[in-house]
Amino acid sequence: MTAVIETESLKKTYGKHEAVRGLNLCVEAGSVCAFLGQNGAGKSSTIKMLLGMIHPTSGTGRVLGHRIDKESESLLIRQNVAFVAEDKRLYDYMTVAQIVRFTKSFFPGWKRDLEQRLLAQFELPLDRKVRQLSKGMRTKLTLLLGFARGCELLILDEPTEGLDPVAIEDVLQIVVSLAAQGTTVFFSSHQIAEVEQVADHVLMIDRGQLVLDAPMDQVKEEYRHIHAVFPEPVEERDLRLPGVEKVQTEGRTVSLTASHNVDSIVAHVRMLRARSVDVLPVSLKEIFLEKVRARG
Amino acid sequence: MRMLLYKAWIETRVRFASGLIAVAIVCIFQIEQHAWLVAMWAREWADPKGYHFSWMPLGIHEYGWYLWHYLYDNYLQQVWALFAILFAFGGLIRERSGGTVLFSLGLPVSRRRWLFSRLAVALLESIALSMFAIVVVVIGSAIIHQTFSLQQMLLHTALMIAAGVFLIAFGNLCYTLFPGNYLSLVLTLVLLGAPYLWLQTYMQHMRYLGRSTWLGYFDFAHAMAGPWQLNWSSAPWLTLLLTWTLTAALLAVTVVHGDRIDY
Repeated sequence: MTAVIETESLKKTYGKHEAVRGLNLCVEAGSVCAFLGQNGAGKSSTIKMLLGMIHPTSGTGRVLGHRIDKESESLLIRQNVAFVAEDKRLYDYMTVAQIVRFTKSFFPGWKRDLEQRLLAQFELPLDRKVRQLSKGMRTKLTLLLGFARGCELLILDEPTEGLDPVAIEDVLQIVVSLAAQGTTVFFSSHQIAEVEQVADHVLMIDRGQLVLDAPMDQVKEEYRHIHAVFPEPVEERDLRLPGVEKVQTEGRTVSLTASHNVDSIVAHVRMLRARSVDVLPVSLKEIFLEKVRARG
Repeated sequence: MRMLLYKAWIETRVRFASGLIAVAIVCIFQIEQHAWLVAMWAREWADPKGYHFSWMPLGIHEYGWYLWHYLYDNYLQQVWALFAILFAFGGLIRERSGGTVLFSLGLPVSRRRWLFSRLAVALLESIALSMFAIVVVVIGSAIIHQTFSLQQMLLHTALMIAAGVFLIAFGNLCYTLFPGNYLSLVLTLVLLGAPYLWLQTYMQHMRYLGRSTWLGYFDFAHAMAGPWQLNWSSAPWLTLLLTWTLTAALLAVTVVHGDRIDY
């Protein structure tokens, strides 16, 4: 598969604060890639660097084969990337019709049918000024302006923030449908349930560094909680095996989080004479929390 | 490009309308004051104990000089300069304060194109404002039965714009450099307006007294006004060349600085 987004040792510092620390990303064409991280983890800084809005302190990156640190190539990137920013702010002095006309003038591949469908679906009044729209309506308009661009890569920063559950469902359906048509989607979100619903690849970032880069199927299949009860307390070091991400012991009870190698870990736990061993699936939310807390 | 110009126009049209009103007020006021001022100067000139300035005969007998002095060497120029600076106010830095910069930068438009489309609209609006002044003067002068050289008026307008591009470029650089939204506007107006007005007043006074000073090299307002009788040979070419060179330098600094800004 071809990579549409690639970064190599990407770094961004603001004064003494390191927002992004040597990030190595790879997003493959046609994927729906979720970009997870806490507030301030470096997600928005990374996205802004990909689009030439901020300049990397060091490191390199390419989007659709174009270098992100060159203004001329950054322009080529933005011709083929639809970006929806986190704050969803638009020119509030324009009407809905004006801003649609304004935005479409920059994109030759503008999807007029999708524009019309979303205008109707989101019930956006064409003659109303952006400043008179509710937050939810403004978010829908911003998403419309992103989706209808007909670009091969869609970068969404917290796309569903401020939307009601029905609208969230609609937006996720559109994302899935665009992905089915071949659009690569790279989106950041705090809504992990949404991520599990639509993403096929997960990138997790914490304090500017990548802590997870895996296909969603692999995450769902290979991450497991292993609960074991032993006749006598065991040493934590005895459970430090390849694939064990986290070990918690409470007396004779041990709780392990494994990212892979589950069968061998279970066999090892049984070998240590565990009385009972339970293997349970792990949700993405739990993985996220563990990744973040493990580094805390 | 057309839509960028359209956007810049929507953002500045209220300022432009305000500029038209201000220009109309200044021109109408000066035309309306003409008869009264001329009568006063004539009285002073006739009175041996009255004020006697060298320009008074011109002011009394030449309506063209009157228009040049009060409009192009003073009030119209000041109002025009103020609005030229205001028209240039805005751009990506201001959009950052308003929160729309990420939407703008998400479009396939280079930062330079954003800058120059806004400057182009500012320049076009400034030109339109000065043309509107001519229309007001033509109509107003016809009403008070005064005649003047339209060619001279067009030449002074051209000179005002040609030199005034420096103000647009300087103002835009200030907006790019200074922090805050309206704070940068105030700082720009103070930084540009205060020395401009002070020097204009001071140098006019010195000229009335027939003295010259090195400060004259910085009298930008006089450069914008030019001499009363403006023609190819009396045009301040050297000043214009210097102004355009400085304007190009300011634009280059704005572009380089603008390319480096993180949004």
